[in-house]
Amino acid sequence: MRLASLVRLISLLLLVAFIAMPQAFAFAFEPLVTPGAPAIYNQGSLFSLTLQHLRTVCLATIASTILAVSLGIFVTRPSGGEFLPLSRSLVNIGQTFPPIAVLAIAVPLVGFGEKPTFIALFLYGLLPIFENTLTGLTQVPTQAMEAARGMGMNTWQRLSQVELPLAFPVILAGIRLSVIISLGTATIGSTVAAKGLGEVIIAGLQSNNIAFVLQGGLVVALLAVLIHDGLGLIERAAARKLGRFVDEVS
Amino acid sequence: MIEIEHLTKRYGTNVVVDDVSFTVEEGTLTVIVGTSGAGKSTLLRMINRLVEPSAGRVFIDGEDTRAIPEDELRHRIGYVIQGYGLFPHRDVAANIATVPRLLGWERRKIAQRVDELLDLFQLDPAEFAHKFPHELSGGQQQRVGVARALAARPSLLLMDEPFGALDAVIRSKAQDDLLAIQRRLGTTIVLVTHDMNEAFHLGDRIAVMDQARLLQHATPAEMLMHPADDFVERLVGTAERPFRLLSLAKVQDAIEPGEAMGEPVAISDSLHDALSRLMWTGRDALPVADARGVILGKVSVGGILQHGRPLP
Amino acid sequence: MVPPRPALSLDHLGCVIAILIGVALFAAPFATYRATRIASGDSRLLIEALPIAMGAVVALVALTIAVGAALMRDPLGRLGSAVIGLAVLLPSLGLSAGYLTPADNTFARVSPSVGFWLLALSFSLLAIDALARMRLGPYGRIAALLVGLIALALLLFSGIWDDLSILKEYRTRSDTFWREARQHLFLAFGSMAAACAVGIPLGIAGHRLKTLRTALLQGLGIVQTIPSIALFGLLMAPLGAIAASVPLAAALGIKGIGAAPAFIALFLYALFPIVANTIAGLSQVPAAAVDAARGMGMSARQKLVQVEMPLAFPVILAGIRIVLVQNLGLATVAALIGGGGFGTFVFQGIGQTAIDLVLLGAIPTVILSFAASIVLDALVELAKGALA
Repeated sequence: MRLASLVRLISLLLLVAFIAMPQAFAFAFEPLVTPGAPAIYNQGSLFSLTLQHLRTVCLATIASTILAVSLGIFVTRPSGGEFLPLSRSLVNIGQTFPPIAVLAIAVPLVGFGEKPTFIALFLYGLLPIFENTLTGLTQVPTQAMEAARGMGMNTWQRLSQVELPLAFPVILAGIRLSVIISLGTATIGSTVAAKGLGEVIIAGLQSNNIAFVLQGGLVVALLAVLIHDGLGLIERAAARKLGRFVDEVS
Repeated sequence: MIEIEHLTKRYGTNVVVDDVSFTVEEGTLTVIVGTSGAGKSTLLRMINRLVEPSAGRVFIDGEDTRAIPEDELRHRIGYVIQGYGLFPHRDVAANIATVPRLLGWERRKIAQRVDELLDLFQLDPAEFAHKFPHELSGGQQQRVGVARALAARPSLLLMDEPFGALDAVIRSKAQDDLLAIQRRLGTTIVLVTHDMNEAFHLGDRIAVMDQARLLQHATPAEMLMHPADDFVERLVGTAERPFRLLSLAKVQDAIEPGEAMGEPVAISDSLHDALSRLMWTGRDALPVADARGVILGKVSVGGILQHGRPLP
Repeated sequence: MVPPRPALSLDHLGCVIAILIGVALFAAPFATYRATRIASGDSRLLIEALPIAMGAVVALVALTIAVGAALMRDPLGRLGSAVIGLAVLLPSLGLSAGYLTPADNTFARVSPSVGFWLLALSFSLLAIDALARMRLGPYGRIAALLVGLIALALLLFSGIWDDLSILKEYRTRSDTFWREARQHLFLAFGSMAAACAVGIPLGIAGHRLKTLRTALLQGLGIVQTIPSIALFGLLMAPLGAIAASVPLAAALGIKGIGAAPAFIALFLYALFPIVANTIAGLSQVPAAAVDAARGMGMSARQKLVQVEMPLAFPVILAGIRIVLVQNLGLATVAALIGGGGFGTFVFQGIGQTAIDLVLLGAIPTVILSFAASIVLDALVELAKGALA
């Protein structure tokens, strides 16, 4: 456990150091480039690209979380029950759409830039969160719900004090999955001119500069691993409190 | 006092509870017993309106429950189910505090009440208050479940198979504890079970249900001696009847003047216990002592056996 | 137990679908007309997009279905009306293309617009809802998929859609289309097969050795979190280095850019579900069965082949399902590093702002993953059923 924390800390420090002063790491990338070509991405600041990347992902995830959780709550209420079978099938079908297809289809509708990326992240991010909200809410123990009713909790109290807290770790797992997918999709978003770390990779591909590709890839990969890991820690803490066993890896 | 008047529940053409009426006196424990599917849980759940009756009414201390908003009614009635339904995301203290919190009690008053209940149920507050349900044994969970139901000092407690998830040894201890707490707090309890032994052990009165109907509502002794029909008689268990009667009677009822040799039996013991002592020691009679150990007389096999048959 | 509904009541879902149909018919353009393939589009409402009689038929059918959807809950009726709706709508799109394209004009493009998509969505929702409520068995689902695919093939081969923009895009690159299709399938299925060949033995080893299990699952789990394009990028560097220093590797076609890094990346992504599901499948084999096998004197190998693997099979198959759907989608990204596949059209289309070209790449991908998920889900269910 202590070793894991140490690895986490070192990765985080490395990441921050690299995006803050990439030139200091130039020596590591020089062997990869043809002489004369820049070893470190020089068409913008890695730091601001990282922030923009995170901002897009964060906004899109917040938007998908709000909508997906609300929808999940709605279809599990008696009044929304008629939508439940359809929404389940839609989620299953939706997940067979590759994120790139969603992104590509959004471009003609809203033009290039941040918008199609945001839409793709938002739409694709909905699926895992909605699915997990459904799972979380439907697996609340019936006895706990019966007890809650028996103690005179009204519908809202049951939802906010029993159902949502019990579903929380599962919903969080959905959000984590959604964030990871979004981080990757946002990278591809740079092919439609969204600001983000994908720019670095694409610039590398276009100018045949493997050092750029590697830098962009490394930063995105580290970000993804760290965020996945961090959200996983919160999730496990939440689940442990409920006495649920959570697989240490997934 | 709870008055149940002509309670009926129908789902479509299916009658689950059919015109049931009886009264539960203040401070007594009534057991509703019957086979599964007899309608006993539905009857219980109509008292706190978790199930809306199709017909009939329930009065609590003279007040028609239909006149009270559902949630408010349930705040006033304790409810314990099989498996207890403890909230896995809340620690023991927060679980017990559920209804007081819904009622908006002051924080300090809630904390005080929680400690009081943990003490009452022999759970050390320092050790248990901040444990989560999954960290408790089955017996501890059961006690927390009952403590939670009693938190807002309800005058009525409804229990649906509250001991169903416990193994035999812990179950009889939990039953004794419930009786002790009930005597102490004077809470009126209505308890549902399918276990006839539990019914005789706990009930001041027993209501037998079968196929949606109430067959008999009587004290245990009455039920043993005058079962309403064949079904009740079979449920009571013909072979068990004398022993059940002996369990209900105390040594006090069979005490005779005179002296006997051997270890004295306590005057508050049941005749069932006294008889087993007599048989085990191979004696015809044993002395009877009160709580202070003063010998009051004797109890004999012949005297006890007279209590194991219906009075002429 | 549920109180009977009044004979005439509105279905909530049906109402939403009816509103969608209404919007599609009256407030949204049915088709888009472009003078050239990248010119900006010109919207045409349903009445403008089709000859009057044909337009009226489509509108009438759609309205009838809208009313029916709001009032009728019977799944069979819903499915029937959805099928009729699609049977009228889909060919009418082709007729519209022929109607809107001026004679002998080879530059003009007609593509479906919001109204068409909404109508198609509404009918599909109706059909999906009905199918979900009918709870078809595995064979039923595969049959439904086959019927859909055959209908699609008929539409394509009948020539009724030939005037549509997307098919014009296809005709100008029909050779490359099938080449990229083969490449896409090679990437997706090839890397899956490689992952099975490596992952199942690894999973068996991981099931036996706890230390290996933890290391495997954690290491592969980290790989899973790395975004695809980043992983492609990370693989390019070492492969490029190998190609530069090992002539044989270069001769075999291993390069920093191209199919090799894409194939390896897909393979790495695929390992986690295969290994994890093999381990999960083996660990849920009932201890009693393993005990009985040992009691009967089976060797370790016999026990594995005759008892453990057959019992773990449905779970492993579920892992393969995850991998296949994931790979079919991810293979699209391979085009970005020159790996080919349907992504080639998607990225070309994005580059040229030609939506029809994007769709030419995206639609086959979606159909492939959709079909793969239905078939494999059905197979998983059959495999489970065979054990139950």
